[in-house]
Amino acid sequence: MDFQPDTEQQMLIDLVRRFVREEIIPLEAKLDPDASELAPEDHARLVEKTKAMGLFGIDIPPQYGGPDIDIVTRTLLAIEMAQHRAGLYAPCYGTFGGAGLAQIFEANEDQKERYLYPTLRGEKKAFFGLTEPSGGSDPARAIQTRAERRDNGWVLNGSKIFISGADRAQYGIVFARTDAAKGRAGITCFILDAGTPGFYVRRVVHTLRSSSYATELEFKDCWVSDRQVLGEVNKGFAVANDRLTRQRIPYAAGCIGVAIAAHEMAVEWAKLRSTFGDKLANRQAVQWMLVDNEIDIRSARYFTLEAAEKARRGLPFRTEAALAKLIASEGGGRVVDRAMQIHGGMGMTKDLPLERWFREMRIRRVGEGPSEVQRMVVAREILGSSLR
Amino acid sequence: MKILVPVKRVVDYNVKVRVKSDGSGIETAGVKMSMNPFDEIAVEEAVRLKEKGVATEIVAVSMGVTQCSETIRTALAMGADRGILVESDVELQPLAVAKLLKVIADKEQPKLIILGKQAIDDDMSATGQMLAAFLGWPQGTFASKVLIEGDKITVTREVDGGLETVELSLPAIVTTDLRLNEPRYASLPNIMKARKKPIENLKPADLGVDPAPRLTVLKVNEPPKRQAGKKVASVAELVDKLRNEAKVI
Repeated sequence: MDFQPDTEQQMLIDLVRRFVREEIIPLEAKLDPDASELAPEDHARLVEKTKAMGLFGIDIPPQYGGPDIDIVTRTLLAIEMAQHRAGLYAPCYGTFGGAGLAQIFEANEDQKERYLYPTLRGEKKAFFGLTEPSGGSDPARAIQTRAERRDNGWVLNGSKIFISGADRAQYGIVFARTDAAKGRAGITCFILDAGTPGFYVRRVVHTLRSSSYATELEFKDCWVSDRQVLGEVNKGFAVANDRLTRQRIPYAAGCIGVAIAAHEMAVEWAKLRSTFGDKLANRQAVQWMLVDNEIDIRSARYFTLEAAEKARRGLPFRTEAALAKLIASEGGGRVVDRAMQIHGGMGMTKDLPLERWFREMRIRRVGEGPSEVQRMVVAREILGSSLR
Repeated sequence: MKILVPVKRVVDYNVKVRVKSDGSGIETAGVKMSMNPFDEIAVEEAVRLKEKGVATEIVAVSMGVTQCSETIRTALAMGADRGILVESDVELQPLAVAKLLKVIADKEQPKLIILGKQAIDDDMSATGQMLAAFLGWPQGTFASKVLIEGDKITVTREVDGGLETVELSLPAIVTTDLRLNEPRYASLPNIMKARKKPIENLKPADLGVDPAPRLTVLKVNEPPKRQAGKKVASVAELVDKLRNEAKVI
């Protein structure tokens, strides 16, 4: 299979690359090394540009006003958008817009009016409440938050952890157990408004991403009406699961973008830096590190584009997406690590983006399903239905 | 009004150019190529004139290897209407390009030709002027402002010591300076539309021009390495060094 971009894809890649180089990177020189947001006026100015480029709302389906481009092209662009300091968790600082939560597209008309459209207009932000203290990788078994039937609605009790943005969101979606006996067929997805009585954002959890934090949620006799059920009762897990598979492709793309940027820095530095009378680039030890970078990047790119291509053609891509996420996050971590090694002391400083990438790339092996779970997904595929 | 915009494919301005080991030229194998930045400004100006209703059609022309069609596609994605590619394996120098453009201009009859003031690869700054001479048209070079009223075009030129304003009768040649405008980003809809816009394929022979180079490049050298700076202890030492070492005062 040939994953070389066609003429139009290449022009879009060049376009986004230039945007990153001319608009994003110069602003980063003036930002805190851990910043994940631009100044509001810069953000607004750049959004005008991405709108003129016809690329605003890059992840919004075309029928909702997003650009009409397929998932392979989106993946190629996601690789470009990540190639700057904040690129892993804040590609282009959100100036290409966000789709909000994928699940909201499956809402009914009433819910779309109240949540989806305001989100697409940028008026509302949402959080995704799945993971609980009892575990995130196996939500079907781990979800202990309960929802019990009362007064034409549901009463939620329980907690969530590592939830991003819940303290700044106007609403979120929360998964809770509505039938204790049914395992994954007993989970329902609710839309929860901020400020609902009994819903508390309890504690801010700091992580390796020092400017960013996650929250802990608590539900104490938190009543929501039937109008807030997203999809069908006891079928919430399908809603979560589809997102988790699809989300692995852009997640991998972000890792590849940062790996490319780190590798380019390492190549440039190796050609400039002399030690003991010769360039680093002439040392076999360094050459082999660069070759290993190349191997990690190329394989991640190939696997990720294969997953995207299968998704584009409507074929099953669960295994491909798992492999892509696994290889891109693990390989990306190795590439950044080698780039730091080649840079020596400079690689540890906050003058360069490498140390931020190093911290953030570590999270990528856990976020969006850890490496072990991705391997489990692939193992199930290899070994057949007996393990399902 | 039809506008002709010649665009050149050059080494991308972000690439660190490297001299070939035999000194015969610049390494271009595997190097990222893009539209000459001054030509982007030319395309942008033409598109703005079209948006204002002054121009009706923009024709982008590029000359050289087959891949110059990519440069034309870039112009089409910015808003040009159609392209002409003059394909040649022979290196095209400004004289040959100007001769070829003269024939195309005779055929296309544009009212205005906007070119970059120079290409960032060889910095010759010659094609626009030569073309004006071949056509016998007036020229407004190094334009930082362009205003068209009826059959007249007013061009503001950045010259040493200030701004010079010239008025030309159309048809005319304009070459663009850096401050004329800020080229837009291409857009997704325009990139998709560009796919359907036609590009005509020609060879120098079709235009009756012998493109053979008239200049021979003897040798290309890396610029000399910049010397490290020096710290001075006092103003007196600084003045002494400026006078006796640097010999600038």
